[in-house]
Amino acid sequence: MTAAVNNQRVLGALRQWFDPEKQPTVGRTPDYRFSLANERTFLAWIRTGLALIAGGLACAQFLPPLPVQHLREIIAIALLLLGGVVALRAVDHWARTERAMRLGEELPGSKFPAILAIAVAVGAALLTVAVLIKAAR
Amino acid sequence: MRDPGASAERTGLAWRRTGLSATAVGLLAARPAFHPDAGAPAWLLAALAMAVWVAMIALGYRRSRALHTSPPQPGRRAIPAYAMLTVALVTLGGLVVML
Repeated sequence: MTAAVNNQRVLGALRQWFDPEKQPTVGRTPDYRFSLANERTFLAWIRTGLALIAGGLACAQFLPPLPVQHLREIIAIALLLLGGVVALRAVDHWARTERAMRLGEELPGSKFPAILAIAVAVGAALLTVAVLIKAAR
Repeated sequence: MRDPGASAERTGLAWRRTGLSATAVGLLAARPAFHPDAGAPAWLLAALAMAVWVAMIALGYRRSRALHTSPPQPGRRAIPAYAMLTVALVTLGGLVVML
């Protein structure tokens, strides 16, 4: 039963991504300036995702082979996946915000920016340690 | 006032900036194909990445055109489609890295 409910929820979310206006038509069309602001926020997140993807590809192509086998490729794939997650989260957040604006509800909050910030900070800290160890040798 | 707060113009410019980011990713995904030892897989992945890039630029262009109306059309399918194309670039990029 819970699986069916979950399925329905996932399908509903997907439908909402592709047409938040028709899911089903709820509330009133907000001022277009709010919708465009929501769209620009989405685009800013997509650019963040694209930057992570570009960073991953650049790691794979421009880093010298690292002492640990395949570490370079692992870093590259991790950055690519992080970029993909950012893109998917961006469209989900856009759709939920659009819906909340139509219904005149509180805009959805999100822990994602904090999680991403911590992930980037941890990555930077690990790289700093790696550079320091290499310099000390 | 036709576009108070220049919302439509700023959104059009945001699409353009995003297109530039997509261009950087497309070029990086295609780069290995220019290596002298590159084979058919690298060429194929580069071609697919370029196709995704063209689709992204076309989508951004169309969306910017739709913003010229008054009041501007709200974005709908272009937005999830753009996210899916980004995910397609992740897949192609992953294959390029593992090549």
